[in-house]
Parts: sequence; structure tokens; C-alpha cells
Amino acid sequence: MTATEKELSNESPPCATNKLSNYLWEDHPDENKWADCVHCGMCLESCPTYLETGQEQHSPRGRVHLIKSVAEGKLEVNEQFMDPVFQCLDCRACTTACPADVDVGGLIEEARGQVRQAMPLTGMKGAISSFFLKGLFPHPNRLQAAGGLLKFYQKSGLQKAVRSTGALRVMPKHLAEMEAIMPEITTSVRKKYKDVEVIPAKGTPKAQVAMLKGCIMDVMFGDINQSTINVLTHNGNDVELPKNQTCCGALHVHAGDRETGKKLAKQNIEAFEKSNKVVVNAAGCGCALKEYPELLRNEPEWKERAEAFSEKVEDISKYLYDTGYEKPTSSINKRITYHDACHLAHGQGVRHEPRQLLKDIPGVTFIEQPNADTCCGSAGIYNITNPEMATAVLERKMENVPDDVDMISMGNPGCMLQMAMGVQKYGRSGEIVHTVQLLDWAYQEDQKKQPQTTDARKE
Amino acid sequence: MLFKKKKKDIEDEHLKNLAKIVGQKSILHHKEDLLSYDCDGFTIHKSLPKAVIFPKNTEEVVAAVTYCSTHNIPFLARGAGTGLSGGAIPLHEEVVISLVKMKNLLSVDYENRQAVVQPGYVNLKLTNSISAKGYYYAPDPSSQYVCTIGGNVAENAGGAHCLKYGVTTNHILGLELVLPNGEIVEISENGVPDMPGYDLLGILTGSEGTLGIVTKITVRILKNPEGKKTVLAYFDRVEDGSHAVSDIISAGIVPAALEMMDHTAIEGVEAGAFPVGHPKGIEALLLIEVDGIIEGIDEQIDQILSVCRNHNVRDVKVARDEEERGRWWANRKTGFGAMGAISPDYLVQDGVIPRSTLPKVLNNIKEISNEYNLRIANIFHAGDGNLHPLILFDSRIEGETEKALKAGTACLKACADVGGSITGEHGVGIEKKEEMRFIFTDDELEAQIAIREVFNPNDLLNKGKLFPTPSRCMDIKKVIKETAAAQ
Ligand SMILES: Cc1cc2nc3c(=O)[nH]c(=O)nc-3n(C[C@H](O)[C@H](O)[C@H](O)COP(=O)(O)OP(=O)(O)OC[C@H]3O[C@@H](n4cnc5c(N)ncnc54)[C@H](O)[C@@H]3O)c2cc1C
Ligand code: SF4
Ligand code: SF4
Repeated sequence: MTATEKELSNESPPCATNKLSNYLWEDHPDENKWADCVHCGMCLESCPTYLETGQEQHSPRGRVHLIKSVAEGKLEVNEQFMDPVFQCLDCRACTTACPADVDVGGLIEEARGQVRQAMPLTGMKGAISSFFLKGLFPHPNRLQAAGGLLKFYQKSGLQKAVRSTGALRVMPKHLAEMEAIMPEITTSVRKKYKDVEVIPAKGTPKAQVAMLKGCIMDVMFGDINQSTINVLTHNGNDVELPKNQTCCGALHVHAGDRETGKKLAKQNIEAFEKSNKVVVNAAGCGCALKEYPELLRNEPEWKERAEAFSEKVEDISKYLYDTGYEKPTSSINKRITYHDACHLAHGQGVRHEPRQLLKDIPGVTFIEQPNADTCCGSAGIYNITNPEMATAVLERKMENVPDDVDMISMGNPGCMLQMAMGVQKYGRSGEIVHTVQLLDWAYQEDQKKQPQTTDARKE
Repeated sequence: MLFKKKKKDIEDEHLKNLAKIVGQKSILHHKEDLLSYDCDGFTIHKSLPKAVIFPKNTEEVVAAVTYCSTHNIPFLARGAGTGLSGGAIPLHEEVVISLVKMKNLLSVDYENRQAVVQPGYVNLKLTNSISAKGYYYAPDPSSQYVCTIGGNVAENAGGAHCLKYGVTTNHILGLELVLPNGEIVEISENGVPDMPGYDLLGILTGSEGTLGIVTKITVRILKNPEGKKTVLAYFDRVEDGSHAVSDIISAGIVPAALEMMDHTAIEGVEAGAFPVGHPKGIEALLLIEVDGIIEGIDEQIDQILSVCRNHNVRDVKVARDEEERGRWWANRKTGFGAMGAISPDYLVQDGVIPRSTLPKVLNNIKEISNEYNLRIANIFHAGDGNLHPLILFDSRIEGETEKALKAGTACLKACADVGGSITGEHGVGIEKKEEMRFIFTDDELEAQIAIREVFNPNDLLNKGKLFPTPSRCMDIKKVIKETAAAQ
């Protein structure tokens, strides 16, 4: 098949061999996934959208049932089907709850792929979605520019002006709320280490690891990437930043744009092919990288490469926990609670490690919160596309966050924005931090105490 | 316009009026939305309701029920839809009244050891809300993470710990009920136990949603036992496990729980999401828990261990800590769902047998499994002889569903034949209504239907459940006569 033929076959009416009843496009939901579901309902109470609505079409069991019914020819892929499929937060709480290990999240993502091909987004939602997903995230330069603009916006006093003049009032409410909690933009790692291949470990290197810089993470949360590098090098890791890496594609897959997701996946698989370990500091990205084999399940050769790749992917907290890290001696005298990012706890089963990391910092009073692993409502760009549900879910989350904490720690940038919004909106205390930042700050304090050590870092 | 469909407004006049009662956001009427309500945990029969409504309080329930009965519209109540006998399946295009939005804990009275909940309140939440004060709610169906107390009342749900503490009916102190004509009745309003007169609470608990809609429940709460220990025992032969069960009980021990799983069940739970790492090749395992005042516990545990050893136990151990105990219980309690990991579908049966007949009946079930060429996993409350054979099948294979149903009936027959019952806790629903004839005569069925008619004279509420069809006794008699004549 030539490239054009291939392109045509993607656009043209579905090819008969690849459809499944009323799923008319390739890469349709996988029959084996719903065959595992015995309709027991044990997932209901784990699902934030069911808890909010009480309606079963918005529950994992209901969604699986709907997805299966289209394959059985009982339903069509239409708006009424789309609603529950897109109201899902992709939080994976159901995966943890389900006794039969049904991959509800995978099914939903596949169903979204069908919906998006049946009914391409139009209007405002379409514009927003394609601006972010196609125009921005996969293009580091553009993101950088956007980050630069944001930085300019913050530094120039424009932000203050906008906030004080009421220009915000013309923005939809939820976007205005987002604006209010936009993090202070710092220098991106991509820019800072433009000409550096490997950032050397401090002292004798133990290992070499590659780091995923992420797209948003690097632009909006450059300091967290910096902290990750600091903590890794502090613990004897050479950190490489493979040049060709790109956005993980999670948001695309969540939004049903599986084709872009696959392209990005392949680019990353290639970019990290030579690395032994890929360390990630954003739960959502890490989970997506680990799921590349699933995304590429219909392309045997790529699937195999994806499997080898996903084996190497590790969240920063788990990597540190597994390989050992120096316990800081300086104190951070704060009361800290931890929020389990969905894609860490439910997606990757990482719960204990980040907590242990926090507890190992002297001075930290660790405060467990009830239901720490319920979704905050961020869910990628869900808080932009489904503001009502996102707000309701956030409100529930904030009810569980203890009142009297100094900091709320977590391992995912999307959650950080959303939780910051929660803190602001409900007048709560608690600075939002990434778990590695705390460790980095403690190390920095240690460093200050022994000024004779030469700092290998560039700063 | 192949795929694009605009959200349609409600056209049906009745649904418009029901929407006025509960609010536009609290009614579902699109086919796509109704689909989730076409069955409950019993998936063999499916049919769509006319609509689903979500009342927020008793007044809305009353208004909706009154409207339906005035207009002759069939309706039924639904909780979490985890019922295993099809009790919440709309057979006659019912309006489904979902109680899940009425999910508050209304009050807790520690002094008198009772709590008042709305029907949609989830079972486990009650224990979770009062455990800090040292109390709990005893009935613990394995579905307790999600099922509602309203649904528990309707099914008279049991659970692992009901061996010692009794099933739901032993813990219900008062009910508020909306009758099918819209009338509210309060039974034992102040939760005072043992009121004189007929035991209405007893009749209502376990009535499978055919007598009225429960809108408020007063339950008994218990003080946490002082101590608790849990034992896990592995056997190479099912018979050894069964005999151990009998001997534990005859030794005078009343364990809080005494659960058994067979080979196939163990395969399922180990393939599921909460594996424990049970050794390979085990034919039966027992999960035994004793609780009470600390002093007595160790002695009982010693007795249990020696009974197990007398019956050739391969390995037996006591849970080291709460974490290990929790893992064992999660493994057991998610057992049904875990079957999804080894089979696309299952049909769970719910027979009760005299404990002494356990080895015999388990053998019969094995024969049934061979005869129908379907695997059957057994995971059950051995202590009170409440069997749960899980018939594993694949509904995508033509004829296999029917085969599974027949195997299920055969299992129930085996239970009835040794003097047992066809349901311990999951109810009759639509699944076992024909099998009611295994244990009741026509006159007995007729007497029960007469009770239903007092509460639900027009049979608009949850029609076609609990009793064999045709449900009118006259008709039953006719059918029996006809069959007799034909033979
Ligand atoms: C995995 C699994 C494990 C289970 N384990 C057990 C177990 O160990 N023990 C056990 O007893 N059961 C068990 N069950 C069965 C089931 O969970 C119970 O029957 C439970 O009580 C049903 O509650 P529900 O809220 O899901 O009710 P539903 O399934 O929604 O309804 C069940 C019946 O109750 C009626 N009903 C519901 N709410 C009301 C109300 N407010 N007023 C009047 N009628 C009402 C319905 O009309 C229906 O007939 C299990 C089920 C599953 C799926
Ligand atoms: S997804 Fe899992 S928990 Fe939910 S109904 Fe299906 S099998 Fe049960
Ligand atoms: S992923 Fe989250 S929102 Fe979606 S069905 Fe599962 S629990 Fe519900």
C-alpha cells in the first residue's frame, strides 16, 4: 500500500474485515476485554461519575455493557452512546476494584476512537481539543513559545491587569478558575539542557537513566523536571535526555485520537530504544508509556518493540525506592498529606513508594487522607472539556483533604493544577507540591550545610 | 445523518409527568441509557424498562408510586443491581425506581445500638462510619462494597459472618415502606424489638421487592468483638474439608465465619485481582474466623487446628496480622467476580443443605458438572450449609446458556432432595421461581401469594417474580392438572 492509499483507507468507509457489527472502524474495542466482565457491579462505588450521578450508564459496568451492546448490534455509535463514554474520567479506579481484572479503561479508550471517527468534534469543543492536541502538545517549539508567552504574561504585569480589570469575566467560568492557578513558569529543562546529552551523576555513577521531559510538564512545571534531575543525579544516576522524545500521547488516546497517539508512541519507542531505564515524573505519562503495547496491539512488530519499551518505564518514586536513595538529613518541618494520582495508584500500582519517600524526610508529619486514591477530576484535559463533572469530582476530593496541612504532595502535573484550583476555590490551606520537589529541597538544604562539596549540577 | 442523533425530548405523556415529580435530570428514557438497567447481577435474562427514575426522598417515591398505580403502569425498586436472581430485572417494561440517590445515614444511636439509614445507603459504609466508635453492622454479603441496605432487606441478604450473627432479618428493627398504592407505613417506628402482633418485619424482609418499596430502615448495630483470629486450611481431598467443617461445629465452636472454596474456585480467585498465593493442586480450602472475648479465642483456634490435622490437612495457618487477614477476606469476598478471569459468564446457584450432607451433595454437583460438560466452581458458606455452585459458561457459544440453566436447576434439585432449600440468601427472583415447586406444594404457594395480594393487590409492583408462572394458583393448578392428564 502506498502512503496515499493508506491515508485513503483511513478516511474512506470502513473496510469490512476490520469492523465489528456497529463498530465501523479499525481498532475497535476488544471483545476479550468485555468477555471478562461478569456484570457483578463490584466496581460501582469506585467510580466517581457513578457516585456523582447515581446512574449506571455512567458506571464502569454500564459502560462495558454499552460498549458490548454496540458490538452486538443493539446500539449505534451515536451521541447518546458517546455521553457515558466521554464522561468517564479515565481514572482507572474501576480497574483496582474489579475482581475480574476487566480493562475498562482500555475498552473506553478504544470506544472513544470509534466515536471520534463516527462523529468528529465540531464547534468550540472541536477547536479547543484540536488546538491543544494536534497544534500544541506534540510540538515542543510551539509549547515552548506558549510557555514563553505565559511567562511574559505573568512577568509583564499583564496577569495582574487581567485579573484586576475583570477581563476574566469574559472567559468561561472554569477557564477563569484555571487561569487563577496557573503555575509560575520557570525555565524548561528542554531549553536549559539544549546541548547536553547526559547530565552527569554526582560522585561515582551507579546507573544511567533516561528521563521523559513531558510536554506540559516541561513548559509549565520546568522546576519539577529540574528537581527530578537533581534528585536522580544526587543519587548517582547519569541522566540522559534523548533528543527525539515527544509528548506521550496520553491526552490524544483519552480524547479518542488514537492515530496521533500511535504516531507519538512510535516516536518515543524509537527515541528511547537505546536507554535501559525510562524514568517519568508525571503519572499520566508513565501510565501511557506503559500501555503502548496495548495501543499498538494490532501492529505485531510495533507491539513487540512497545513491550520491550514499556518494561523499562518507571515512575520516579518507584525508581528511587527500588534502587535506593540517600535519606536527607535536613528537616522540612511541615504537615504533609499525599494525594494518589489515579494513574500512579490505579494505573501503575504505585502507592507505598511515594509515601515512604515523604516519610523519610526528617521533620515531615505525614497525614494520611481518607480515600486518598479518588480522582481529583483533572483527568488530562477533562477539566477543560467536562467542567461540570470535573468540578463536582473536585469538590468531593476536597472534602477528604485534611484541613490543617501545609502541603499536599502528589506525582502528576494535571492533578497539581486541579488540586491547586481546589485549594483556591474552597479557601483551603496547603501548598501543592510534587513529591520529588520535597526530596530535592531537603537535599539542597543538606548541600547548604556542607559548602565544600562541588556541585556537579549546572546551576 | 448516519450517526448524529439529537437528544430527543420526552414524548410519552406518563414519562413527562413522572419527570415533573422527580425532575428532568432524574429520569432516564433513552434506549442507550436504559440499557444499563436491562438486568442485574443475573445476566441470563435481559429486558428494557420503560424508564428509570431517581427519587430523592420518600415524598417523591410516594408521588411516583401513586402516579404509576393510578395509571396502571408496572414498576419496581432497584438498589445497586447486584441481585443474583434477577429481582430487579424489568420483565414488563416497568418504570424502575432507583433508590441510589436516597443514600444517607440518617442517625446513629450508640446508646440503643441502632442506626437509621435510607435504602440506597451502601452496606459497608455503615460499618465504615461507625467503626471509629467501636461498632459495626453485622450482615456482610460479599457484595457489601456496593450493595444497598434496601436491597439487603429485600433479599434478606446473608454473608460470611452470618453463621454466628444471623442474616439481615435478625438485624432489622424498623422499616418505612411505601405500599404499591402510595400509602406510607411505618413498622416499629422506634426500633423497639419484638413488638406484639404479627411479625411484619419478618414478612417484609426477604419479600424481594414485591410487597412495597422500603424508604427508611432502622438497623441494629453491634459492638466490635474484643478479639478476632482467622485460620486458613488447605486440604487435598474435598471430603476431608467437609468433615472438618462438621467436626468444628460439633465440637461446640460457633465460628464467626466458616467458608469453603474448591479447586476450580481457587483457580478463579488466584487468576483474579486479589490473589493470595494459595498453593497449587489444593482440592479444598477453609477460611475460618473466630471472634469474641479475647480469653476464649486461642483455645478455640487450637481446637480448630487439631480438627483440621485430624482430617489430613495439608497446611493450616493463622493470619499473622490484620493485613494478612484482610487479604484473605478480599480474596474470598471478590470470589464471584474473579470467575470472570477464567470464564466469560457464570451462573451462581444458592442452595442450602443440612451440613451433614455436604460431601454427598458436593459429589452430586461434580456429577452434574460432568454430565453437562460445564465447569462448576464451589465457593460457599460451609458453616451454615449455604452452597454457591458457580456454573461457568460462555453465552457466546450457542446452547451453552440453556445448558448452564439446566445444570443450575439440577444443582438445586440435588439440594432439595437432601431436605434442603433452593435459596439461602440470593432470593428467588425470576431465576428460581420454577424451582419453588421443588420445596412448596401448591397450597403453600397459594398461601404466600395471598399475602402478596394484601400488600400488592394489582401485582403492579415487581410482577412476575418469586412465584412460578403462571402465578395465579388457579392457573398453576390448571397447568399441573394438564400435565398430569398428558402423562
Ligand atoms: C459478587 C456478588 C456477591 C454477592 N454475595 C452475596 C452474599 O454473600 N450474600 C447475599 O445475601 N447476597 C450476595 N449477593 C447478592 C446481592 O448482592 C444481594 O442480594 C443484595 O442484597 C442486593 O442488593 P442491591 O442493592 O444490589 O439490590 P438490587 O439487586 O438492586 O435489588 C434486589 C431486589 O431487591 C429489590 N429492592 C431493592 N431495593 C429495594 C427497596 N428499597 N425496597 C424494596 N425492594 C427493593 C429489587 O426490586 C430486587 O427485587 C452477591 C452479589 C454479587 C454480585
Ligand atoms: S467491570 Fe469488573 S467489577 Fe465491574 S461489573 Fe464487570 S466484572 Fe464486575
Ligand atoms: S475509569 Fe474512572 S470514571 Fe471511568 S468508568 Fe472507571 S472508575 Fe468510572
